[in-house]
Amino acid sequence: MSERAPLVAVTPLGDGRFLLDQDGRQRVAYAVRAAGATWVFLDGEITVVASPSASRGRAAGLDDAGSLSAPMPATVLAVTVQPGQRVAAGDVLIRLEAMKMELPVRAPRDGTVIAVKCREGELVQPGVPLLELDET
Amino acid sequence: MFTRVLVANRGEIAVRVMRTCREMGIETVAVYSDADAHALHVALADRAVRIGGAAPADSYLSQSAILDAARATGAQAIHPGYGFLSENAEFAAACADARLTFIGPPPDAMARLGSKTAARRLAEASGVPVVPGAIPDEQSDAAITAAATRVGFPLLLKPSEGGGGIGMKAVHAAADLPAAIAQARREAEAAFGDGTLYVERLVTRPRHVEFQIMGDRHGSVVHLFERECSIQRRHQKVLEETPSTAVTPALRQRMGTAAVALATAAGYQNAGTVEFLVDGAGDDAAFYFLEINARLQVEHPITEAVTGVDLVRAQLGVAAGEPLPWTQAALAQSGHAIEVRICAEDPRQNFLPQAGVLALYREPSMPGIRVDSGVFEGAEVSVHYDSLLAKLIARGETREAARLRGRHALDHFPILGIRTNVPLLARLLTHERFIAGDLDTHFLASEATALLPEDGEPSADARAVADALRRAPAAASGAPSSIADPWSSLKRTRV
Repeated sequence: MSERAPLVAVTPLGDGRFLLDQDGRQRVAYAVRAAGATWVFLDGEITVVASPSASRGRAAGLDDAGSLSAPMPATVLAVTVQPGQRVAAGDVLIRLEAMKMELPVRAPRDGTVIAVKCREGELVQPGVPLLELDET
Repeated sequence: MFTRVLVANRGEIAVRVMRTCREMGIETVAVYSDADAHALHVALADRAVRIGGAAPADSYLSQSAILDAARATGAQAIHPGYGFLSENAEFAAACADARLTFIGPPPDAMARLGSKTAARRLAEASGVPVVPGAIPDEQSDAAITAAATRVGFPLLLKPSEGGGGIGMKAVHAAADLPAAIAQARREAEAAFGDGTLYVERLVTRPRHVEFQIMGDRHGSVVHLFERECSIQRRHQKVLEETPSTAVTPALRQRMGTAAVALATAAGYQNAGTVEFLVDGAGDDAAFYFLEINARLQVEHPITEAVTGVDLVRAQLGVAAGEPLPWTQAALAQSGHAIEVRICAEDPRQNFLPQAGVLALYREPSMPGIRVDSGVFEGAEVSVHYDSLLAKLIARGETREAARLRGRHALDHFPILGIRTNVPLLARLLTHERFIAGDLDTHFLASEATALLPEDGEPSADARAVADALRRAPAAASGAPSSIADPWSSLKRTRV
């Protein structure tokens, strides 16, 4: 962040390609807008620059209202807790399956299960609450 | 030779099989699920038949639907690819009953080898060394625990059916055993419909080295040398190469002879892979038989790259009753080949699979590079199937030349719109331990810090490109701009 890099001139080449010129050193980058962010590919590395309005996904966690949701479309294999149950951070609450992988949804912190909002065998979508956790 | 072949698979392997069929003038029949109506393998086939819903059980695993499709289209043979029904002896037998040629080993050889426990017994009987292990007397938790106690920790719990590391669990202490048994059994039942488990000793610094074999109906079996597949995550291969830096000519001779002996004892025909663990390096390194994969492997192109053969063409030939096209003496390795598996997954989120649209997808085309893929720009990666998008194979005169080619090609393989492991693969190819050939199956886990740097601030260059895209008219950016993201809506959405 400290060093002052020479100015980079960027020229769109069309079709998602961009020419970078830095003091005569040329490179080609690729960029596209998708999913509320700008995706850039340069020299084997991918950068996702979030648009001001969108926030990138983080590890399965609670939103401000205390709901847990699926990280991706998935099938509910099992719900291993019941409403009223106290859970500790790291406990497996729900087991999902997607793309042949079992994905455990774990409690992000200690708390009490208020409500379970999915059932076994159900196909769940990202963003839809699976379970509500209260802070106790 | 056949005039029409049905390919009972999807994705890159269906495409790859169809390409050889096309070259040989054989018509191809694709089958597809509702999720794959617009998939590449469907577009490339001469005919395509819808076989059911998106869930594998309703389509690619539905034996009756696939056999009906073969009958309806007049196909004479079925190529199963890998995964799905490829190692299902019952399906191979059902093909025979329907007077269709199953392009793979005969059902009885599959039955002998498809079960890991049976394959292990056959190896022992053929004098091929096996990893110390125990087959539980029955499948109760108590019997598996007793077998585990006999073997000792650390150990591996493995499903008797199937492969690909699914359901396989490393257990380091007795206390972890009950949970591991339950999870391994569940995953094995879900994936293979059979929860039978066995127990094996865990070799601490193992290398995974496998031999390609090919047999014909006339009793000939040859091997096509080794592939090293030690770079794995959760027992799934990520990078494969041949020759292996662990295998000397003398060791290659011993392992190749063992592979052919075992395949011959099993009455093996068609393409298969004999997997070994190698403990140590040099002429006297120990090797242990793991299992036989009774199918074409994902990583078969590296064998094709160094031997110059087309394994699918050979599969079609021997399935049609022709003798093997090569003798053992005629086969030789030339140069070096490395394959990396490009997957829709986020290595920074514990390799969580990713679904969504490939907003930008450009395959590299350059000297010594082959890309086998089943996708295209704009295609949607669905949640229903595994996350393999493409395989990039780099061939060079030396290992170093192949490695540099692979890295250069990955630097020119942009895939945007969903997260992939391309950056991880690019860093892997320049990791000093990889460059030195110092590998074992724990490589990815133990080098994770170097291979998975934290998401820092975007570089000034990346920001400059992002700004240029923002300023550029939509026509110049060239790609769709409103694609729903399974990730941004994720996890931290409000109710």
